[in-house]
Amino acid sequence: MTTIRPFTCEDMLKFNNVNLDPLTETYGLSFYTQYLAHWPEYFQVVESPSGEIMGYIMGKAEGHGENWHGHVTALTVGPEYRRLGLAATLMNILEDVKKAYFVDLFVRVSNKVAINMYKNLGYIVYRTVLEYYSGDPDEDAYDMRKACSRDVNKKSVIPLTHPVRPEDVD
Amino acid sequence: MAHMHDGGIVERRLRPIYDWLDIGNNKKALQEAEKVLKKTPTLQAARALKALALFRLGKGLEAQVVLDALADEKPSDDTTLQAMTISYRESQQLHKVCMLYENAVKSEPTNEELHSHLFMSYVRVGDYRSQQRAAMALYKFAPKNPYYFWAVMSIVLQAKTSEDNTKRGILLALAQRMVDNFISENKMEAEQEARLYIMILELQEKWEDILKFIESPLYSQLVPGSTAQASIPYLKKLGQWKRLNVVCKELLWDNQDRWDYYVPYFDSVFYLMKENEEDADSSIDNTARKSMSSGRTLRGPYLARLELWKRLAVDGDPTSLIGSALCGARLEAVSWNDSTEEREEKCREFLTCLGFDENSEPESADDIQRHVSCLAAWRLVAAPQPSAGALELAATLRGHYLRCLQKGLVTSNITEFCPADNYGILASSAPIVEALCLLELVLHHSPANFHAKLLLVKLYHLLGNALAADSIYQRLEVKHIQLVSLGWLHCARLAPACLASRALQLLADTRAFLKHHGKDSVEHLTYAYKYGTFEKLVELSAWAARLEACADNRDLNVIVNYEPPQFQDENLKARTFDQEVSYLRLKDALVSAIALCIELADSRPVDEKKGHYEQLNTCIEAFSTAMEKCRQLYAEKERISISAPFPSRIIAFVNSPVPYRELYATILRLVGELAISRTAAAHDACQAVARLLPKAQDQLQDEIAVKGDPVWSMRDRLECLSNYLEFIGIITFLLGVCNELFSPASAKKSKKKTSHSPDEIKTSELLNELNNAVQTSITFLEHILDEWPKYEVSNMDEILAKLTLDDKYQSPVENKLKTGRDDMLNDVRNILKRKSKYLKSLLQ
Repeated sequence: MTTIRPFTCEDMLKFNNVNLDPLTETYGLSFYTQYLAHWPEYFQVVESPSGEIMGYIMGKAEGHGENWHGHVTALTVGPEYRRLGLAATLMNILEDVKKAYFVDLFVRVSNKVAINMYKNLGYIVYRTVLEYYSGDPDEDAYDMRKACSRDVNKKSVIPLTHPVRPEDVD
Repeated sequence: MAHMHDGGIVERRLRPIYDWLDIGNNKKALQEAEKVLKKTPTLQAARALKALALFRLGKGLEAQVVLDALADEKPSDDTTLQAMTISYRESQQLHKVCMLYENAVKSEPTNEELHSHLFMSYVRVGDYRSQQRAAMALYKFAPKNPYYFWAVMSIVLQAKTSEDNTKRGILLALAQRMVDNFISENKMEAEQEARLYIMILELQEKWEDILKFIESPLYSQLVPGSTAQASIPYLKKLGQWKRLNVVCKELLWDNQDRWDYYVPYFDSVFYLMKENEEDADSSIDNTARKSMSSGRTLRGPYLARLELWKRLAVDGDPTSLIGSALCGARLEAVSWNDSTEEREEKCREFLTCLGFDENSEPESADDIQRHVSCLAAWRLVAAPQPSAGALELAATLRGHYLRCLQKGLVTSNITEFCPADNYGILASSAPIVEALCLLELVLHHSPANFHAKLLLVKLYHLLGNALAADSIYQRLEVKHIQLVSLGWLHCARLAPACLASRALQLLADTRAFLKHHGKDSVEHLTYAYKYGTFEKLVELSAWAARLEACADNRDLNVIVNYEPPQFQDENLKARTFDQEVSYLRLKDALVSAIALCIELADSRPVDEKKGHYEQLNTCIEAFSTAMEKCRQLYAEKERISISAPFPSRIIAFVNSPVPYRELYATILRLVGELAISRTAAAHDACQAVARLLPKAQDQLQDEIAVKGDPVWSMRDRLECLSNYLEFIGIITFLLGVCNELFSPASAKKSKKKTSHSPDEIKTSELLNELNNAVQTSITFLEHILDEWPKYEVSNMDEILAKLTLDDKYQSPVENKLKTGRDDMLNDVRNILKRKSKYLKSLLQ
């Protein structure tokens, strides 16, 4: 049972039950406010009837020409609210980016659960980005993509054969 | 004025300065700037960058001289202006940026860029009127939509902050007219412009106009596909129940999980039911049946039935609707209208509705999930159990967890926890040490289970063991905004558990976070204008204000709570916040008084100190009055709940038998009297404190005597001890101030034996006496520490035996409690040792 509404500043004070999940990053404050100021329509939260945050998506629309696409910066669903289809609901928001050719996202190669979920939602591994996540040791990312209807020939989702370095990712 | 027109050369020369600034090497940046200025001494951009480097090197005054000279020249090139803006921003002189750009646009009146910077400079200082003027000026020669709406938004903000209702009305009407004109000229372009228009109409409560606009072709063109959803709140406001019913029903056909559609839908149904029963009945049935036919794993239709049940409970029998509604995690959602008795009577139905009871032994992850959900729902509605029953249930739940562990049903990995963990979480109502052992076991197998971590932090603090709590808190990796929303859990308990050093560290991190944010919060407002996100603008400025103000930012819902509703304390958040604020005020008064003591300790003649002396007395008076008032206000003991904050420190502080009010007031007065050479009064104060100290020791001894279970009372006793330790810290510091007043360091250096008057000799004697009395107090405290009780858990072996599955796992609880206690005591001993050494150095 879900209310979908825009993420607000005050949600940052109550997203702990989602963000304490080890694979959900808590960013610096200005990272969130920057998204709120720039792409509020792609920063949405799913809320339970009791007002608890069940999950949220943080995204943006960017790129020039045929590279105009929706990018998922963060997608997370609290442990108690998984397997209810919330991630798919949230992803729809980014897949509705006006006139976008595709939607893309980065995910840790070790995050099997998320990768499978994205695959089920129609995403493919477009390329591997080497040592994208810093840590000990650094971890590679999959750049996953799904073509939107505007990309008639599905040009955006032809996988690259070679991995790329983070500096080559625009 | 030296304008270098060859931009390329200038840029190349300036580049190295920027590079050094970027990597934070301000010294090199300064050198590089000087180098450029040698060749072109008047180059404004280089001077602006030099000022920035100087400022960042801490040479604020020198930087200011350069900036002022530059400002007088009224620069208008972008590089110079940007660099100066940064300097002004970092030195909190935002109003000067406005002046800078006001002058710049005068020299280049049609420069769009400069005008837009001028507008943003007003945004940073919140000057809405000037914003409006700047935006309109900009729109006149660059007629672009954003500039026009910047002006509209600036008017809205003037209206929102206006206290004069007539003025507010006029401003809003003006803003509306501006947008109306644009609409009639077909100039609207963006979704945010439409939203701003709705905001303006909302502020005027013109619900019908909003509805008309939302239903217009223009709105669907600007915000495609959202008309139905957007109209809901306004249909409700206007009481158009039939239309609301239709709109929500339509939306629900395609979105069965949307609570935000069900609630207004039910609102409409129940309203219509009153008017025309037959009609309304058909709508309920129809949609409920539709919901039941859903084959997906959505919770919506089920919870909707519960909501319906709750609403039907007013009349009729809703129990027939109970069923597979328990597929979610937490059920606090549905707050029961039923009486407590009725609820408790039905509670077992929650447990048994899926065919389980407390002794069921499900074998699959899904069934375990269902079982724990039933158990949780049952606990939420059942009557509070007598302690024997609670212990028995905790034992059963522990048994479930261990069974799952043995059968490989605990399937957690490093990043995910599993349903079976919840048996352990639910069993945390067991006796505390047993709960600690079980939760540590859960965490050992499910390192990602933050519920276990949060509970462990709370439970270790319940035993007053801040270091053990810290071992778990570190694993929560609390950072950034979480420092303020979650930090209370740990931070507030460190000092009262006598762990001052860790408290200091965590508070410093939190303060750094808030300070850093304070600096950049205005920048987000400029982004919001840049991207035309007007709705967020209001929100972002309220947010910045909230973080700067003393607001309650604690997230109290993060800890799982299965206490039945009669234990839910509605006022808890407000009350505990109020207590913390009162405590801070007391501490603030103390700190202000101490700061005044330091001011009074300088070498000015006595006459010049009168002002500060008066202020100190006022401060002491305010502190005393507040202590007395708080003692009356906070006389009652608070109930301890595992999911709520612990009682504020103010309760133990103001209710202490140790006379802190007199102790602090008198020692502070001593410094004041000494500072203005009122010798007799100083002598009185000095003797009064010395007399109070031995009594205070006795009172403390009483306060921290073990009453009842030594393990359980550890937290309270440590808190009492911490209050006394803080006093010892302050009195030691103030004796240092007295020493500075009585025999300044400068006088000592001369090593000349000066003859003292009898009064001075008396002062010296009395200060020595007080010093010795404080040292005696410290020795007394050291003795207390040596005798401090251990965490003796008589049945530890028995507890561990209950949890033993194999020999490989060693419960860390006993060791954490022991080393936590020992290390904390050593920490306190070291602090006391330092105080003692310092006091000895003060003896004349």
